[in-house]
Amino acid sequence: MAADVQTGALALTGSIGVLFAWIAPAAEGSWCGYALAGTSAAVVAGRWAFRCLRRGTGMATESGDAGNSDHGATGKVASSNCHASSGRPAANPTDVDFSDEGSLVNHMLSQHRYAILLRPQVAANLRREHVELALSELDQHMSLVPSGDVILHPWRPAKPEESDDPHEGERLVSVEALFLDRYPITNRQYFDFVASGAYEQPAIWDPEILNAVVEFVDKTGHPGPRYWENGHYPIDEDDLPVVGVSWYEAMAYARWAGKRLPSDAEWVKAASWPVSQPDAPPTQRRFPWGESMDRSMANLWGSGPGCPVSVREYPQGTSVGGASQLIGNVWEWTSSPFGAWNCRFRALELPLPMKSIRGGAFDTYFDNQAQNSFQSGDALCARKYNIGFRCALGVCDVTTILADNPAAEEAQSECCPVNPWGVDISSSDAAPDPLAELEKEIAS
Amino acid sequence: MSRPGLLAMDSFQLAKYATPVPCYICDGVNATSAELCRHCQAPMALAHQVQQSVTPQMVAVLGTTGSGKTVYIGMLTDMLSRYSSELQLLARGAFSISLQQATAGALSQCEFPLKTPNEPDRWNWVHSRVLVPQKNQKIELIMPDVAGEALMEEIEHPHSYPVIRAFLSKCAAVLILIDIEGLDEGCDDQDYFGMKMITYLNEMNSDAKSGWGSRPISIVFTKSDQCDACFEDPVAFARQRTPGLFKQCHERLRRCRFFASSVAGACAFEVSREGRFRVPLRIEPRGVTEPFVWLIHQLTGTK
Repeated sequence: MAADVQTGALALTGSIGVLFAWIAPAAEGSWCGYALAGTSAAVVAGRWAFRCLRRGTGMATESGDAGNSDHGATGKVASSNCHASSGRPAANPTDVDFSDEGSLVNHMLSQHRYAILLRPQVAANLRREHVELALSELDQHMSLVPSGDVILHPWRPAKPEESDDPHEGERLVSVEALFLDRYPITNRQYFDFVASGAYEQPAIWDPEILNAVVEFVDKTGHPGPRYWENGHYPIDEDDLPVVGVSWYEAMAYARWAGKRLPSDAEWVKAASWPVSQPDAPPTQRRFPWGESMDRSMANLWGSGPGCPVSVREYPQGTSVGGASQLIGNVWEWTSSPFGAWNCRFRALELPLPMKSIRGGAFDTYFDNQAQNSFQSGDALCARKYNIGFRCALGVCDVTTILADNPAAEEAQSECCPVNPWGVDISSSDAAPDPLAELEKEIAS
Repeated sequence: MSRPGLLAMDSFQLAKYATPVPCYICDGVNATSAELCRHCQAPMALAHQVQQSVTPQMVAVLGTTGSGKTVYIGMLTDMLSRYSSELQLLARGAFSISLQQATAGALSQCEFPLKTPNEPDRWNWVHSRVLVPQKNQKIELIMPDVAGEALMEEIEHPHSYPVIRAFLSKCAAVLILIDIEGLDEGCDDQDYFGMKMITYLNEMNSDAKSGWGSRPISIVFTKSDQCDACFEDPVAFARQRTPGLFKQCHERLRRCRFFASSVAGACAFEVSREGRFRVPLRIEPRGVTEPFVWLIHQLTGTK
């Protein structure tokens, strides 16, 4: 099957070729994407080494799984087991006819990877109806957070005896406009990622973690979140937020989906929805739904069943912008480091480097630790039962206006100047360009 | 000059002040007006409250310094008095709420509560009523927050803290907290502490029917957020990481169970002018109520 896909892909020209190049890390067909870039040998070699590493650990050596030389088989086995066990959706890239743009676009949309289709250089080569479909998906699954200033609080405010200033340690941070997922990433969404063989694609992982990716396995030793079994999430937990994933796994998923993790400031901006005032700091909400704690609005200790619930629950706790469950259910990884900023009277010593997590979880006990402003952290490799994530996407990183409307397009380009690749290079949190990553890999 | 008048003869009321009141913990005789027992420093309020209600049972929470006794008792009382449906806890007297208040106040600000002083008169004796809604039962409970250093001193040198010995001799059940933080680094101190504790209790009362061999004991591995294997199977963890304690429990205790608990989701250190302190980064209690609920069910025979 892989050979067929490759042959077909090599015969492609124009828009499909560009699309393949962009979805390279996605599926079995990705080899041909790399082949189009003229670098197949290097990538194949990298994957082979990655697979050998996994074999060496003895973590996933079943035939047809990680040990199988055909990448497509990984997805196929996973999805067939999935059907047999729980009727969950298939995520088998080898079932897709990649010679047809429509099929490929639909496949990408079914995997919630519309962000890739909306990259300017991809969208420019797609048919209008496909871009419209992708835009519709974007609108359905992501909420718009306007640009503006947001106040970030220190991890712990200064004590009264330390400072008279009640705002000691607060920072005013400017945030560019972005899209934020309306819901945390679910088990079903993450299954697509796992089934695509993403755990064996070095290009989407941070280089420093490549050696440890083989240890990101579930209870049975298969690649995937910690609390899954045999590469699958438990039955009837499709819509539960995925947990048991490290920060690196969250980052890899975001890259695979063409998105990124939100920064700390972006997350707080989306949740607290600051309102600017002349000559005064913006006023921010304490909770997404308002100023006062109401435990019926979120899945917290004492208000829920004591475990994660579907991301569709607690709709009344939705933020102004339309993002649900920002508070409660599961903590959410952000791209920002934890502990880098504290009030000047106290320094934080971390046992390991940590990343910031926000929002509280189903077992968050105190009200003040379930506020928009509260920040906690955990180690980058921690795979906890109550930490999940949601993704973000810079408005400047995608085409949000159809190409046949020059006036609107011009307006967008004026408000969001972008580089030729559509990536905001000024932001340190911008998702890495897969092609740039590839070039680096070749160079190394 | 002087005027005749009637003066009520209330001197009989003085008699009650002359009646000695036994301390509920050590049975030592005290004056009615005494606030603390002059023998063991336990609060005499316990004795006065006992006179008004059914005889309370005593449960001890034991552990080394820093093993989390104060946090455990504080969180337990807070959780059971606010949210739990399986057991409900009603404090008796304001001083019983003080520990709960101090612990919750500190943890909500991402700090651990202050270390419990060694002086028995400064310990917090939580006196509460526990309701078991399913069985419509209620029991009175006394559960003090004993200082770890004082406890270790008494174990190493019996009778150095009479209040601890007197209290433990009357206890109906015990929770022994084992701090797993050091176990991961190959330090066996907690294993040895657990062995000493079991030995101490057994030597105190080894009677086959009423001794510690037949009283319920919960072994609680604290700070288990650092080791998920402990949560998944506390018995296996005990067998592998605290083999001495496991053996003692297996051989000498008939009603013993292992549990894992944690209160903080993650921890770090904070450095300020006052020094370097361990701080919780967030509070998400796990496995806090289970050991206590099991003990209560053992005491009441409800399960």
